[in-house]
Amino acid sequence: MTAPVLETRSLSVAYGPIRALSGVSIRIAEGETVAVVGANGAGKTTLMKALSGLLPAQSGEIAFQGRSIKGRGPHDLARAGMLHVPEGRGTLGTLTVEENLRIAYDVRPARLGYDEATAAVFARFPRLADRRRQRASSMSGGEQQMLALARAIVNPPAMLLVDEPSLGLSPLMVKEAFNVLHEFRDRGTTMLVVEQNVRSALRLADRGYVLRQGEVIASGPAAELLADDQLLNRYLGTRTKEGA
Amino acid sequence: MTAQILNGLIVGSMYALVAIGFTLVLGVLDRLNFAHTEVFMFGAFAGLVAIDAGGIWWLALPFVFVVGGLFGMAVEFISFRRFEGDARITAALSSLAVGLVLIDLTQKVWGTEPVGMTIPGYVTTAGFELFGMRVVYVQLLILGVTLALMASLHLLVSRTRMGRNIRAVADSPAAASLLGIDVRRVTQDVFFVSSALAGVAGLLLAFRTGFANTDVGLTFGLKAIAIMAIGGMGDLRGAVVGGLLIGVLEALTFQFGVGKLGELVVWVTMILVLFVRPEGLFGGGVHVKDVRA
Repeated sequence: MTAPVLETRSLSVAYGPIRALSGVSIRIAEGETVAVVGANGAGKTTLMKALSGLLPAQSGEIAFQGRSIKGRGPHDLARAGMLHVPEGRGTLGTLTVEENLRIAYDVRPARLGYDEATAAVFARFPRLADRRRQRASSMSGGEQQMLALARAIVNPPAMLLVDEPSLGLSPLMVKEAFNVLHEFRDRGTTMLVVEQNVRSALRLADRGYVLRQGEVIASGPAAELLADDQLLNRYLGTRTKEGA
Repeated sequence: MTAQILNGLIVGSMYALVAIGFTLVLGVLDRLNFAHTEVFMFGAFAGLVAIDAGGIWWLALPFVFVVGGLFGMAVEFISFRRFEGDARITAALSSLAVGLVLIDLTQKVWGTEPVGMTIPGYVTTAGFELFGMRVVYVQLLILGVTLALMASLHLLVSRTRMGRNIRAVADSPAAASLLGIDVRRVTQDVFFVSSALAGVAGLLLAFRTGFANTDVGLTFGLKAIAIMAIGGMGDLRGAVVGGLLIGVLEALTFQFGVGKLGELVVWVTMILVLFVRPEGLFGGGVHVKDVRA
């Protein structure tokens, strides 16, 4: 196995006296798509925030590209190649679509020029081109999710973290969001996706971790987790027939 | 009467300059910086130092801009850096204390009486007639400098990368930080710009009155905070319109022989505006968003 792009060892995170993550060890290798699934409150979003520097680690280690990133702030990690698309998308609603893209482009030196990079975004998301001068908040939730994911196109990150891409979206837009993530995966983007929508996430991923009450209770190839009906039913409360 | 309106606009433009700095910090960072009025007060004294040392009176303007800005960054460090999130009121009180200390220290150095400021007569007394109204050059200077600074701020916020980052932080500090924006750096930038404008306003007021005065923060400066509320908390456009409006209203009460009411105009207007429109004339929720309008 190649050296991981992102790795945690015995990571614990607490909100005051409340421990949200206990001894979590995960790794994401170059070009790999990993899903972290779990019920509401299992600690998925906390994990994402700790990885991107929004929350401090209480103990344990986090390494990004082989170096410890404990204590480094989110803007610093973003500049180093981490892109965290947070729950609720994190688009800047009062700025225009174009300004949102510009900020995402400016985060670190890019391979493409700005015009080329935005052309790639607009080719994939024509709706964003139509709305480039509008405020991001004037768009639907689905369009805003596309704008958030477009950050990974306008300036591709070394590590993409996507938190609950399906949250609050219509079924059609959920499908569209996962289509985009499948494209990212096929292009070799190194990606960590956190989802309540367990089946969609595991179908997307190469490997998965199951989080429950802040601890990893299962991990393995996504296909194996997906086939484990007992696990899915007992810990994730998914019905076998659930569609995605 | 046109002369009074001109006077009102000039005073109003200085109100506006103080108010936009205060409202910028509020709108972007959601912080009330009560040291702001005293940075405004201190601008005149910093100007005194520059004029006494240099000799070229107008160089005091850029000097005060920088000194005011650095003061703002110091206030950010002393009163605001340690408080994030919920402790905004504590931070506001800390900044109030910093302002009061600044008054006291200034009085220790320069005394409590107004200190005369000597700038050339061709600025303070010379002028010309325009439509039967006497215009003194210092009035033009004040209008010119305030308008130029306000226009520059508008361009900075709406057109530059720094301004884009400022608006991103105003929108959501967490989301901005995930996009690589250094929120602490932007915070310092905003405090610098905000206080630099206040310092210059303080110097301009001293140019007009001929004195540096330790009282002006609590009189003139406090009115600027009221004007911010009238214009809409955190709204730059509202601060400008509110400042000019109050300046002219005050001048007109003077014109119509009710000058004794002058000091009340701003407070009564604030009460009435907030009673009818609690969000202020322009305020409508997300603070800096209307800056591009």
